[in-house]
Amino acid sequence: MITLTNVLLLAALLFCISVAGIFLNRKNILILLMCIELMLLSVNMNFIAFSHFLGDIHGQIFVFFILTVAAAEAAIGLAILIVMFRNRDTINVESLDSMKG
Amino acid sequence: MIELIVFYIFGALLLGAATMVVVMRNPVHAALFLVLAFFCSAAIWLLLQAEFLAIALVLVYVGAVMVLFLFVVMMLDINMVTIREGFARYLPFGLFVAILMFLVMGLVVSSDYFLSDAFSTFSHVREGYSNTQHLGQTLYTEYLYQFEIAGAILLVAIVAAISLSMSKAKVTKAPNPGDQVTVKKQDRLRIVKMDAEGKE
Amino acid sequence: MSISNEILLALPELSLLSMACLVLVVDAFSKDPDHRITYWLTQISLAIVFLLVFTSIPDEPRLAFHNSFIDDAMSSVLKCFICAITIIVFLYSYEYLKENKLMKGEYFVLGLFAVLGMMIMSSAYSLLSIYLGLELMSLSMYAMVAMNRKSAAASEAAMKYFILGALASGMLLYGISMIYGLTSSIQFTEIAAISMTSVENSRFLVFGMIFMIIGIAFKLGAAPFHMWVPDVYQGAPTSVTLFISTAPKLAAFAMAIRILVDGLFPLVADWQSILMVLAVLSMAIGNIVAISQTNIKRMLAYSTIAHVGYLFLGLIAGTINGFAGSMFYIISYALMSMGTFGMIILLGRYEFEAKNLEDFKGLSGRSPWFAFIMMCLMFSMAGVPPFLGFWSKWFVLKELVASGYFALAAVSVVFSIIGAYYYLRIVKLMYFDKPDKMTAIKATKQMRAVLTANGLLILVLGLLPNSLMQICLTALAH
Repeated sequence: MITLTNVLLLAALLFCISVAGIFLNRKNILILLMCIELMLLSVNMNFIAFSHFLGDIHGQIFVFFILTVAAAEAAIGLAILIVMFRNRDTINVESLDSMKG
Repeated sequence: MIELIVFYIFGALLLGAATMVVVMRNPVHAALFLVLAFFCSAAIWLLLQAEFLAIALVLVYVGAVMVLFLFVVMMLDINMVTIREGFARYLPFGLFVAILMFLVMGLVVSSDYFLSDAFSTFSHVREGYSNTQHLGQTLYTEYLYQFEIAGAILLVAIVAAISLSMSKAKVTKAPNPGDQVTVKKQDRLRIVKMDAEGKE
Repeated sequence: MSISNEILLALPELSLLSMACLVLVVDAFSKDPDHRITYWLTQISLAIVFLLVFTSIPDEPRLAFHNSFIDDAMSSVLKCFICAITIIVFLYSYEYLKENKLMKGEYFVLGLFAVLGMMIMSSAYSLLSIYLGLELMSLSMYAMVAMNRKSAAASEAAMKYFILGALASGMLLYGISMIYGLTSSIQFTEIAAISMTSVENSRFLVFGMIFMIIGIAFKLGAAPFHMWVPDVYQGAPTSVTLFISTAPKLAAFAMAIRILVDGLFPLVADWQSILMVLAVLSMAIGNIVAISQTNIKRMLAYSTIAHVGYLFLGLIAGTINGFAGSMFYIISYALMSMGTFGMIILLGRYEFEAKNLEDFKGLSGRSPWFAFIMMCLMFSMAGVPPFLGFWSKWFVLKELVASGYFALAAVSVVFSIIGAYYYLRIVKLMYFDKPDKMTAIKATKQMRAVLTANGLLILVLGLLPNSLMQICLTALAH
């Protein structure tokens, strides 16, 4: 049998990988956006695990809404990315330092 | 037992794919590994009896969102060399943070508490039970208000994405025949009177 | 309660949603380059919503939509302030957008949706409603920051805002998932009931709560999760900075109260100690780093971080009076910030923004009246009596001392004295320095009138602070 701990550990690992990815890929916004998707995936995994082991449908509903919001978020993130690329010809986050103080 | 083996296989694949997303050089490859990660999680969700969401993840995420990602990756002409700079520099710090976080989170979620009886009331599947039906019924009754908000969020996404990325069509140079025919001499020709220039 | 009654409770939200859709359609068909119809329709819809909320402030909290929506005094008061503040913000924005050739109908449409998100957050009573309201607000604001498509700084700021905002949502969601797992509910009534009774899982609840607090701190811009604030404030068009620094703070306050007080009050001892760390860090970083800033928007960004620290002080006190003090603080901060950014817009002209502190040099010579208004605002921000800002600090600190946190109160007084330096520096620049060039201020009568009213309001409310405090107390009484 799969236990709740199995799934929670998997989700925690996935969460940590995505956080590490955000730290490591400061230069590449596309991969940053993908890391954010991974992070939401790990959260969804948590919700579905709890939903299954509690025998409660509400966790799945929450996941449904997270998926919706994540799709909207991806659309806006990519739109901002395109605006930025048109302005600067790069998607390098490190070069995002014209403002410092 | 079989379930556990399947879980481990897909879990390992998922973590492998996620790691590849993080370390890949090429954003296209990263996006494809992300697709693999979504497939593996969909399989795990099926094991956890969330059938509708598993299918939605594949259809909506892999089918739409990831295609959008790939589309943008292909559209932007990205300089691959500069993009990888600094990866090695941040590696120790990133790894340190991730491992520390995992130790803390792992310690909490691997506690015996999560194996107690409170977490063993699985939805015992009756014959004829449909996950989709149950989900739909709850969604359209109890979650009516939130459902409306989700609609507003999608509308905002549309408005924002269009207003940010739509560039006005370039002004076409095609002449308008009507204007050309009705043009008058005064519109094109201007006679100016000026004094003769003196010799310097 | 029947479904039609429930819908009536959400009437302000529903009418705002329909008006926003109407504005969107009307704007798509209007050919006016100044978008006058869009602007006026937007203002009318906000006024209608304001009246709808104002005329139906309830005495008793009422729940609807399966306990995921609450209509109580706090939500109504906050919604009223959100609408009123946004009306003035849009008035300032309209001038700014026209002057800087950034006029776009989407600005107002997205603004309306952001207000809708804030209203949903104020009256959310389940974690899902809070999350959706938060995302509706944030997504609209990410797009508004990037609205100036020709500015590299704006798109850069939008990207930073977006990535850190998404990270914050991820953290918040992880926390929510743990809370859901432990209480098997996402509704505050049930979460509060379960976390009250169970002892064995309280440490797991704290684990989930830490993630949620990180999410809230990110959204409010509290140190050490403040990295996005200065860049976004500086990079965004001033009208958007003005918007971000006012109404959303009220919604974020509502979110903090709902989660920490309505949902997780049994864990008060745990979140108090976390908030204490955040508060001290925010006050320290905000006040000290602000001193070295030369860009006015960036300086005000650090001042926001510091103000969020003071906001937490009232929550740390852990009493109704303390929460009311925090509410008073955030409302008065929104009013002051609105006036200050309005002043920056007033001083700016096309292709010239009042970017640096030097631009305030000798303002008293150029316009004695607006120099006076700015002085009121700066004194108020610094917390000089009898201005509004003094009372907001006073109420918060009084409750903090009453709850026995003497050391924390002393530390915050020290930081506010340090903070006073950079506000008073602007007053010095205005009154004692010679201007580089004497250019007259060009602004419409409307703008001048509203800005004057804004400045005088700070002074009048500072003389009569008890009326606003009374409103906050009744709002949080239940």
